[in-house]
Amino acid sequence: MEEYVGELWDRLITGAAEKRHAAAIVKLDDIAKSAAIFFRALGGDPGLGISAAPAVRHGARRRLLQRMAGSGEKVELSWRDGEVLRLPSQIDLFAEYALNRDLYFWLVALAAVETNSHWSWVVRNQQATLATLQRFPGLQVRYNRLVDALLAMRIPPHKMPEDEAAQEHTIRQALQQPGSVDSIKLAKRPFQPVPLWPHPNPPVNGESGAAGAGSPEQTGGTAQKKNRRKHLAQRTDVKEDKNGFLMMFRAESLFSWSEFVKVNRPQDEEDDTETSQLAAEDMDHLTIARDGKASAANVRFDLDLPAGAADDTPLGEGVLLPEWNWKKQVLQPDYCNLQQLIATDVKPCELPHTLKNTANHLRRQFQALTPTRHWLKGQQDGEELDLDAWVQLASERNSTIPTSEHGLYRAQVNQERDLACLLLADLSLSTDAYVSNHARVIDVIRDSLLLFSEALTATGDSFALYGFSSLKRSNVRFHYIKGFDEKYSGHVRGRITAIKPGYYTRMGAAIRQASSLLVQQKKRQRLLLILTDGKPNDLDQYEGRYGIEDTRMALIEARRLGLRPFCVTIDTEASDYLPHLFGAGGYVVIRNPEDLPKELPQLYAQMTR
Amino acid sequence: METQTNTTPFYEPSGDECDLFERAWKNRLPLLIKGPTGCGKTRFVAHMAARLGLPLHTVACHDDLTAADLVGRHLIGDGETIWNDGPLTRAVREGGICYLDEVVEARKDTTVVLHPLADDRRMLPIDRTGELLQAPPAFMLVVSYNPGYQNFLKGMKPSTRQRFVSLTFDFPSAAQEEAILLGETGIDSMTAKRLVSIAGAFRALRDHDLEEVASTRLLVYAATLIKDGYDPVRACQAALVETLTDDAETAVALSEVVSATFGR
Repeated sequence: MEEYVGELWDRLITGAAEKRHAAAIVKLDDIAKSAAIFFRALGGDPGLGISAAPAVRHGARRRLLQRMAGSGEKVELSWRDGEVLRLPSQIDLFAEYALNRDLYFWLVALAAVETNSHWSWVVRNQQATLATLQRFPGLQVRYNRLVDALLAMRIPPHKMPEDEAAQEHTIRQALQQPGSVDSIKLAKRPFQPVPLWPHPNPPVNGESGAAGAGSPEQTGGTAQKKNRRKHLAQRTDVKEDKNGFLMMFRAESLFSWSEFVKVNRPQDEEDDTETSQLAAEDMDHLTIARDGKASAANVRFDLDLPAGAADDTPLGEGVLLPEWNWKKQVLQPDYCNLQQLIATDVKPCELPHTLKNTANHLRRQFQALTPTRHWLKGQQDGEELDLDAWVQLASERNSTIPTSEHGLYRAQVNQERDLACLLLADLSLSTDAYVSNHARVIDVIRDSLLLFSEALTATGDSFALYGFSSLKRSNVRFHYIKGFDEKYSGHVRGRITAIKPGYYTRMGAAIRQASSLLVQQKKRQRLLLILTDGKPNDLDQYEGRYGIEDTRMALIEARRLGLRPFCVTIDTEASDYLPHLFGAGGYVVIRNPEDLPKELPQLYAQMTR
Repeated sequence: METQTNTTPFYEPSGDECDLFERAWKNRLPLLIKGPTGCGKTRFVAHMAARLGLPLHTVACHDDLTAADLVGRHLIGDGETIWNDGPLTRAVREGGICYLDEVVEARKDTTVVLHPLADDRRMLPIDRTGELLQAPPAFMLVVSYNPGYQNFLKGMKPSTRQRFVSLTFDFPSAAQEEAILLGETGIDSMTAKRLVSIAGAFRALRDHDLEEVASTRLLVYAATLIKDGYDPVRACQAALVETLTDDAETAVALSEVVSATFGR
């Protein structure tokens, strides 16, 4: 009973206190793509992605009801760092949908402006506001509307103590007349958050994406991906000399259970991830320790390179390849070691039964693309006369029908396909994830490669198949499946069937190697088709922006060599980063991965027609 | 198509391209102009033809354009066949500028016809009639193409390219583009400035979100609509946003840029 009443009270008081407008809610997911394009259009860094900002405690005065309900403690503000532009995961601040939406685009517009970082936060925001309004005068009306709506919602200064009131006045002035405030006199209590401005001191901990480095690739984990919101992660050094069981501070001073304490807990007592998830939501900071022991050891064990005897056979010496470092803007020569491998002990095999029908169908379709010589009738000029046309012309002239212009020749056409295609498939560990109840990504890739080969063999186009994965820069694994000079045979099918997922995705190095192979083909058109399921990433610094920029550089190099890169992906979030890599129209996202085997040959047909 | 107008078409030079064109013409060199769609390639050629007082023969190339379409063919008349010159032959006979627009679109065999014309021989052999035409000094061959234009697998043969003096066009600078809008449509300079600012924002999306970005021609369209009294936001929607993209989310973002500039 008590619990029931408590619950009821909680719902009542929270409902009354929350100044939220669920009906007018705008979610980041709904506008993320448009917002990203808007950001780039306004001159924002095209390499930045958009991601949800974590909620942060603001510590400012709250309304009585909010205090009673214990709500309104945290606020989601936007900020920008080297890798992402963080925006609130949803905005329901105002009662009108249009205002909430305008606020999103306003935040994006502000973030696109570069301001002098030496200025104080208040000045910076005002200058950014002025610059934005000057470049996009149409925003003025909306800005005024937003400011009016916001000021109406803030606790008025006359209900505050003096120092806070002065502080609030300054902020109000800066919002209403941007450029007029030089500094802000801070009161004891922090000011109420200003949703129109970015975060005053964004919690950027050194390298951003603190949880990223050294973490293994996610396999599966789709539920987690959907939760775009990030937690603030703080990296803490583990103090080796301390005994985990000895509390080094007085227990009374333990305010918060999110404080980092090293406790020897070899096993997690609760497997209940849902509870942990909820607890994590409530915490301000998730502290992540790197002691390189327990979990890291586990990871290394999983992803160790196989022993020489069990591994694929290396083909020749390793190849040293450069890598682009975007932070330094230099191409680091001989930075990666790429080893070409060929599957050991592969037995030639036939096409699996399940694919036979589709393969036959594709073969028939693709035979139509094969170059043949044939005669065209009714041409304006050609090698021979078109007698039918002559007879028709003569008879028309004798009748009263006015003659129209006719082609009176037959011409022989010779459609030639002067084309080479290299297909590069991502074989990283993430392809081990299941896309449906009975198929993993790798199975889908395997079927795709088989059908693709069947189709291309029918056209007679020259093609090669390679796969890649990597384990740091010293071990980029480049799997030979079929070379340009090899015929499509049972051996090739055997090697396709033998592909297996492993390691990470150092895409740049693989693209460079593939480009160097493809460029040797003396064909007029050379197509570099990349088949992937996610972003470039590797164990070392090769993740996030670093990996993307290196891949981008590798693609730019490929284009300079006269190759045409094209990406086929099944990553539904690919629109965050693929436009930056391949440009509009340079990639395609297959929404349903199981369609990939059928779609891939069709795409190829469309592209090369 | 032959055009010869008495008034010189409006053209706002962005560099020394007029000088280069004149020199190429004087020295009988063929010219290759490349640049994105709607940046003023065709207008430039028309302008130069009028300035040099030459007739202009324009051929818009398409993927069914054959060599015979350029050179000419026999037509069946009443009891006889009549040889009919194609635009290229006519230009060579009469002198003047022959302008092949979007030349990569034409069939591969057509470019071969251009080869003897484009090097120092300057002749046009016509197989059908057995003629060998020598181009007069006033003849000039100009071709243009758009390197980014949907030709994922199209390009120009190096052997053809290497016969031309090349000129790269890009969109004009903001100030020049404003001048162009003023000169073309007569809208007020404030609107022109805003239109150019929108175009600048859209052009930042080249290679990322848009395959083709807002051309000067589209801006002129938008300006024309606005000058006619149409609502600026709607005019930009119609002339720019919807023309540039089919993707709904991209269109939303572009519309936001438009309304951020013109306001609501």
